[in-house]
Amino acid sequence: MNEVCFKNIDKDQCWSLTTYEASGGYSVWRKILKGEYTPEQIINELKTSGLRGRGGAGFPTGLKWSFMPRNAEGQKYIVCNSDEGEPGTCKDRDILRFNPHAVIEGMAIGSFVMDATVGYNYIRGEFIEPFDRFEGALKEAYETGLLGKNINGSEVSFDLYAHLGAGAYICGEETALLESIEGKKGQPRFKPPFPANVGLFGKPTTINNTESFASVPDIMAHGGQWFADLGVENSGGTKLFSVSGHVANPANFEVSMGMPFKDLLELAGGMRHGAKLKAVIPGGSSTPVLTAEVAMNMTMDYDGIDKAGSMLGAGSVIVMDDSTCMVEALTRLAHFYYDESCGQCTPCREGTGWLYRVLKRIMDGKGKAEDIDLLMGVQEKIMGNTICALGDAAAMPVESFLRNFRDEFEYYIEHGKSMVKG
Amino acid sequence: MLEIEIDGQLVNAEPGEMVIAVTDREGISVPRFCYHKKLSISASCRMCLVDVEGAPKPQPACSTPVADGMKIHTQNDKAKASQKAVMEFLLINHPLDCPICDQGGECELQDVAVDYGSDVSRFSEGKRIIAPSDIGPLIQTDMTRCIHCTRCVRFGSEIAGIMEMGGTGRGEDLKIEPFLKEGITSELSGNMIDVCPVGALTSKPFRYELRSWQMNSINSIARHDLVGSNLYAQTYKGNVKRLASGDNDAVNETWISDRDRFSYEGLTHDNRLLAPQIKVAGQWKEVEWDVALDFAVKGLKNNILNSRNVQKLGGLASATATTEELHLLQKLLREMGCENLDYRLNIKDLDNAIHLQSNIKLADLEHIDQAIVIGSNIRLEQPMINHRLRKAQLAGAGITTLNVKEFDFNYKTNDIIVAPNEIANTLAGVLRVLVEKSAEEVPAYLLAVTPCAQAIDIASSLLNSDKTVLILGEHVVNNAQAASIANLITEIAKLSNSLTLNLTVTANALGAQRVNFVPNSTGMNVNEMLAAEMRAFVLLDVYPEYDFHHLDEALNTLLNNDVFVISLNGFKNDLVAQYSDVMLPMAAMYETSGTHVNINHEMQSFSAAVGAPGESKPAWKILKVLADLLELPGFHYENSTQVLSEVAHQMTPVHEYDTAINLDKSTVEVETIWTHSPYHTDALLRHATSLRASKIGQINTASINAATAKSLSLSDSDTYLGVPVDITETMADQCVFISSNQATNTGAL
Repeated sequence: MNEVCFKNIDKDQCWSLTTYEASGGYSVWRKILKGEYTPEQIINELKTSGLRGRGGAGFPTGLKWSFMPRNAEGQKYIVCNSDEGEPGTCKDRDILRFNPHAVIEGMAIGSFVMDATVGYNYIRGEFIEPFDRFEGALKEAYETGLLGKNINGSEVSFDLYAHLGAGAYICGEETALLESIEGKKGQPRFKPPFPANVGLFGKPTTINNTESFASVPDIMAHGGQWFADLGVENSGGTKLFSVSGHVANPANFEVSMGMPFKDLLELAGGMRHGAKLKAVIPGGSSTPVLTAEVAMNMTMDYDGIDKAGSMLGAGSVIVMDDSTCMVEALTRLAHFYYDESCGQCTPCREGTGWLYRVLKRIMDGKGKAEDIDLLMGVQEKIMGNTICALGDAAAMPVESFLRNFRDEFEYYIEHGKSMVKG
Repeated sequence: MLEIEIDGQLVNAEPGEMVIAVTDREGISVPRFCYHKKLSISASCRMCLVDVEGAPKPQPACSTPVADGMKIHTQNDKAKASQKAVMEFLLINHPLDCPICDQGGECELQDVAVDYGSDVSRFSEGKRIIAPSDIGPLIQTDMTRCIHCTRCVRFGSEIAGIMEMGGTGRGEDLKIEPFLKEGITSELSGNMIDVCPVGALTSKPFRYELRSWQMNSINSIARHDLVGSNLYAQTYKGNVKRLASGDNDAVNETWISDRDRFSYEGLTHDNRLLAPQIKVAGQWKEVEWDVALDFAVKGLKNNILNSRNVQKLGGLASATATTEELHLLQKLLREMGCENLDYRLNIKDLDNAIHLQSNIKLADLEHIDQAIVIGSNIRLEQPMINHRLRKAQLAGAGITTLNVKEFDFNYKTNDIIVAPNEIANTLAGVLRVLVEKSAEEVPAYLLAVTPCAQAIDIASSLLNSDKTVLILGEHVVNNAQAASIANLITEIAKLSNSLTLNLTVTANALGAQRVNFVPNSTGMNVNEMLAAEMRAFVLLDVYPEYDFHHLDEALNTLLNNDVFVISLNGFKNDLVAQYSDVMLPMAAMYETSGTHVNINHEMQSFSAAVGAPGESKPAWKILKVLADLLELPGFHYENSTQVLSEVAHQMTPVHEYDTAINLDKSTVEVETIWTHSPYHTDALLRHATSLRASKIGQINTASINAATAKSLSLSDSDTYLGVPVDITETMADQCVFISSNQATNTGAL
């Protein structure tokens, strides 16, 4: 536990440059500055490590970096996505608070691989303390001569800027994030073209999640195989799981991929007040909800959660006990997506509001028997038809809640009140 | 060339093309709302989702580039399901108020809903409502109907070059609205009405008037400027009810200016002249046509023909007339032996008139690398030409302006601000640099010229660019060195291999030139006529207080009791009524067939969209009958096409002119440049009420810088020549620039 991103978390002033360097921090970056690495070596180590994008999509990081046209003329950019806004997710916040230098070093390594001499870390608007920590770390890195132009005469340049968002969930979508950095309204771009070709300010850009970047320095320091061995096949390394909900000790836990869910639940102190587990959303609010039975037999890795019928996502585990009204829970989630839709494309702009309003009506005791089919129909029509994944994210919980807990919805519609809460 | 398969049919496609461009070309119908061929891709409405084999999700045809061997299904279950899904979402919050919506019958949402919508709505929640807002006198909003396609937003930022419309708010609260309270002010704003697929943005003057299917749609040509934009005149029971843009990539692409779109309102203004009138004992009397024409003929005979003093007859016309009308008037005059005719009523000194050819095509303007714009607020004065320049600039061209005022352009310009009497000298500096580079001998008139830094810059920008154009605008028409400025430009063009564009004339001036509506050496030009002892005039579409530079002289001559004046006008005018003896009501724009010669030297013919109101007649018919009554030969026309056939193949006559360049500066202490504001350049525009009420229509300013204002003892609250003073540091020294919606006050000009 706590072997990569959180390895210094118990140390005094764990976010300081001194602490980071004492545990081997910036050794990889210093080697790069001395010319001891080639980009190809780094990409190969990353590929070996099995590191997959920690923001939710799980795309292999080494592969993503290899797509960047590093030899293309002109400016290229590297961007860190710290706009962590998915309900249930709070891991990147703690990485920024407790290990900001790992993010900086990870981005610096990436910048060298992709010849992107300018980087931005886009930090969620509400993350005031993490932003300050990151800014402090940046200052330390600059003052120590680790960043800047032609660093220590190495002919390697990397300038890194922190950019505070303004509180829109959609800016966590990578192309909306780019729009936001450019000073525009945060709305996703259609793809193709992909950011690797046309990204920030129209230039080739690589965007990775905070946890992905923070994992890179240790992967390079200890080797890709070391990292891969920490996890299981197809899910290399450790992963931060944000365990929240009805557990005794909600917190972020960095554990090896493949850990059984029941062990993770144990780490979180088990169910609060000894209540009975009812349901688990394993990867953040947009991933399908699982019943207790399925969850208790699941392992926490990409394939394990996939087999259980959901997704690892950003590793945001929302635990619900049997006091939870699933109609109410889904209504709350539907409201979130309704509120956060950017409004650009039709299915999401119109569909998220429709879903929420039907659920709200059911909650108000005015549900109709055909509403369940209607909800299923509407989510199906959003699914796959939108510019970005927010539409799918809004649709998926509806489908899984209705599939797994249909009886609760039917009860609510028929009786005008919650089956659980009365 | 690639080969792709669409709905089982093999078709060719260009690499980089989007699927929708191919389906459109092949006539395969793919529904869409946000896609517009002249705007950037948004891919946000999702209506054009199609099934691409191999892609897990349906793909928008508008933003999916073709790839060799790609297999696309536009109509299979997967594509249809997505299209129907989007249709349902678009309709849930749409008010479905088609019965009271002006777009009904020409609504893309309505059309697509017929194919993809459902009979019954499953949406039983409350619908979204957007409070009404007033964005100006031209565009009516009803944003509750908006489907957020953002065509209007993209039109603003990409074509109009000013992002007045934007999407505020998020999700369901996303509202398409102007950012600023003053609403939409762009000179191209009306195109938002055309691009809006629903009834959210409709024509305000047309509001609640008619259904689209009740109207006839007739191809026509706008004649307010040299572009001759192609458009549709939509008519009902003899009235033009609306104008909509037409497609012609060589002329106006698919856009028209607000000036062209909304001028039709003037056609039904109360001020139309509707019946022939004769003046008997100083009193106007409405009479039948035959009486009026007999009266006119008798007047001409008494004053001119019987006494054989045809040299005391003059014919003056406005350049807004059609080529046919101008041809017939010159033929009528010349058949009588009269060589006194002119259309250049606004020129102060015809010995100092501008002679400059236009030899660049409109469509080529957008491919130039460097333009020098001299004496023009081209954005407002020539909106469609400016649109082409803007495209060139966005593609990387350099645009340098040489003006007395720093105007507000909608693209990046390098503005050189000089006093009117410095323009010639600056250009002489440019020429001197070019002459020296060319190793030609420096002509005598350039020996004393020392090129200023800006002149050196202009010269090097011309030499360092491949395709260059020199554009001369209307502000130099009456410059003390106007002829020299034009001649300098001709010389600069020769040495820098540049093309030229002469915007000092407008409307159908090139048509007037084509039919030789200027006197030969034996005749008098307008200013000579006004100074001579005349006995009769035939005036075609002349409004003296706007058209004549020498208004006082003109009135002096025309008001003389011994002068018999026949006026053909579309609108009543007090001065015309004072000096005329007979007023013949003529058809206005869209009421007559005819031909306009545009800046490409193309003859664009149009038919009458509607009949002329009241007793008024097309001027070509009036002139034909007048000629018949005068027993002049060769006027046996049955239609205007026969008139045109006489000039269609005729080359524009070339007149000798003085090519000398005189660099002696004007000694006038404060030069005044008077221009009609953009929506007051002809009689129809001056009667178009909505245009007049718009922000551009309200322009009425005399711009002066602080130092000059001080020397004239003027403050912001004063008027200058009757025009409100605006003290601005964007002005050059020792000059006043007037853009006015009032009649010309020539007192001090």
